[in-house]
Amino acid sequence: MLREGKGTEMTETGIQAAIRKRPSSRMARAERRFAWTMLAPSLVVLLVVSTIPLIVLIGMSFYTIELTQAWKNGFAGVSNYVRMLNDGRFLSSLGVTAVYTTATVFLQVAIGLGLALALSGNFPGRNLLRTAILLPMILAPVVVGLSWRTLLLTPRYGLIDFLSEAIGLGSRSWLGDPSWALTSVIVIHTWQWTPFAFLVFTAAIAALPTEPFEAARLDRASPWQTFVHITLPLLRPAIVIVVIFRSMIALRAFAAIFAATGGGPGSATEILNLYAYRTSFTSFSLGYGAALATTLLLVTVAISVVFFRVRQRA
Amino acid sequence: MTINRRDFLKAAGVTSGMVLLGDPMHGLRALAQSGAANDLGIYREANMNWDQLAGEKITVLLSPAHYFTKFRELTPQFTELTGIEVEFDVIPPKEMRDKAVLDFTAGTKLYATHTADPMFLPLYVANGWIDPIETYHSDASLTDRAWYDIDDVVPLWRAADSVNGDLYALPSEGEVTIHIYRRDLYEANGLAVPTTLAELRDTASALNGTQANLAGMAFRGFRGAGQNMYIWPSLFRSFGGEWFDANGNPQVNSAAGIDSLSYYVDMMNSFAPAGVENWNWPEIMEAFAGGNVAQYIDSNSTASIIENPANSSVAGNVGYQRWPLGPAGKRVTSIWNWALPINAQLPERQRKATWLYIQWLTSRPTQLRSAMYRETPEAVVRTGVNRLSLWASPEYRELVEFTPDYADVVLTSLREDTDADWRPRLPEWPNIGEVMALAIQSALVGQKTPEAALEEANQELRRILG
Repeated sequence: MLREGKGTEMTETGIQAAIRKRPSSRMARAERRFAWTMLAPSLVVLLVVSTIPLIVLIGMSFYTIELTQAWKNGFAGVSNYVRMLNDGRFLSSLGVTAVYTTATVFLQVAIGLGLALALSGNFPGRNLLRTAILLPMILAPVVVGLSWRTLLLTPRYGLIDFLSEAIGLGSRSWLGDPSWALTSVIVIHTWQWTPFAFLVFTAAIAALPTEPFEAARLDRASPWQTFVHITLPLLRPAIVIVVIFRSMIALRAFAAIFAATGGGPGSATEILNLYAYRTSFTSFSLGYGAALATTLLLVTVAISVVFFRVRQRA
Repeated sequence: MTINRRDFLKAAGVTSGMVLLGDPMHGLRALAQSGAANDLGIYREANMNWDQLAGEKITVLLSPAHYFTKFRELTPQFTELTGIEVEFDVIPPKEMRDKAVLDFTAGTKLYATHTADPMFLPLYVANGWIDPIETYHSDASLTDRAWYDIDDVVPLWRAADSVNGDLYALPSEGEVTIHIYRRDLYEANGLAVPTTLAELRDTASALNGTQANLAGMAFRGFRGAGQNMYIWPSLFRSFGGEWFDANGNPQVNSAAGIDSLSYYVDMMNSFAPAGVENWNWPEIMEAFAGGNVAQYIDSNSTASIIENPANSSVAGNVGYQRWPLGPAGKRVTSIWNWALPINAQLPERQRKATWLYIQWLTSRPTQLRSAMYRETPEAVVRTGVNRLSLWASPEYRELVEFTPDYADVVLTSLREDTDADWRPRLPEWPNIGEVMALAIQSALVGQKTPEAALEEANQELRRILG
């Protein structure tokens, strides 16, 4: 869609101009009607399952809706949002969300890029290895959370705990000790979703032009120089895309944490999404829960906007 | 999922066939399962018309548990008796509860009844979602009161299913928490069974680590209104704690609160297995069955698993006791039952049909038949029948005779060791339970001191109740 006014800093391409100047003939109208007919089913579905619930959610956030105290219900203005400012559990969940998102996204990009570069050359077994790396991504997050909790991290019986003991680090309650629990769920998320970054980077590396690398070789650039000055800048759009996608997903992560720790121990792994869920469906404070969810939505949108700006510049 | 009559008869035939191949209690079970157990005459003795609502259809929401499997498989008898069709939806407890609440709030009338948490009944009543049982129980056309004999239903569970003195649901299966310990380890270490919580700590200390991988004690550590907030309230009350002061203000940050939480944290950190913060009763039970925990305080229902030699290395070496006395000189146990309420939004005929189903399920004959019923040869026995008369009857006692005094320990605990208000029974319970569960676990894992955790929780409770 074309924007008037502010959007005009982008110059119109010839085609866009042509479309705009085309006289609205009957055929064009028929075409447009046909387009809308084709779009209608998906628009209706989108409206019903996404747009309307979203509007209802935002509306609910301005009401007090307590299933357990129906007599309190009514319009609340912005009081749900004001309450958040003094809600220690909300502020703590915001902090956990920030750490969780930053750490998982950074690790995914770093490890995903490393793996993609390492497997970009030609060597026997490369395809098998690539397939193996992708496997975690196809598992359901709940299954991942439960498997890590039971098979890998259980003190004394889990594989990771066993290895930790074997190399002399000792047995730990990986998901029960507040100082380890957040690290553990970050590792779980990274393990599952690094394959996504790997996939994008592998595709991006395959599409890189060869000329700059040949030029670098002729100029006797070191591998590190080549990486920093050629590979990285060329991959920047791919990196930004991965960061955008993974941040949006990490911000609203739920199932794996829910299955692994339930937000515990205490509130050590309670991200904002989990707190909103518990407020709505365990405490039955639907209004405040909606306000928390709306806040999460605003944070996600704000971060995405920032990243998209970065991408446009890239 | 519906189970038709033919499936049921087939299953009953298979199991009674197995029973006849040399099971010591076969006579009893054969009676309960074959001919006599399918006999509807015992229901027709009631002076009422069971089939007055023939043709109605109700849907029941259940959590998955062996006793509900037994009820489900006996339900064709109910359909034959009344002509009322019963369908079942089976989903795990937490999701089941959410779904029931959603059904109520949205008014979708999907479920005639569900296996409710008694602590949720005040919430249901405050919103007018369920009907008082007395409406149906006192209707002579729907209930033969003498035949049904409501006074025989365990009084404490009935009290737990009442709100402001009115009964709103009936217990289908229940439990009480007791002290479960390894008799062989106690003997080997020359220990006497503790009578106080302080002595309990001494035994935990004496047993901890006496064998490789042996923990001295375990309580539930998992965070949740039905997990750590199921056990800690018993400690709180037996330390003399009261939820509210004379003005109705919460006071969980009292000295009793702090001392009881410190006791819990100390016991868990000193003697419980690593990772106990995330343990609910199944994990404790499995560790005990595997010989890795010397004792625990939890539901009496775990006995049916830890006494099964196929699943447990400690079967036959287990002792059962009532809760030890707290510093306040009293024992306070935790109680639970799966309560069946009647959805008030249904049309009248369906509500009546629902009552007939609840009445049938909680009646003495069905409680006995389900206790005797084995859905598979290795099926677990019911340890929570709702009738005092059954707990007194030789045939049921024989079934749960894990030790000579098991049934008495359970029954005495149910009669003497707590009251229905050992947890705050208010519409706000879901919220209160969540706040307290978080406070208890924060103290357990050392995020906060017991004082700080309870101080914060108390403020939060004031806000919720304010």
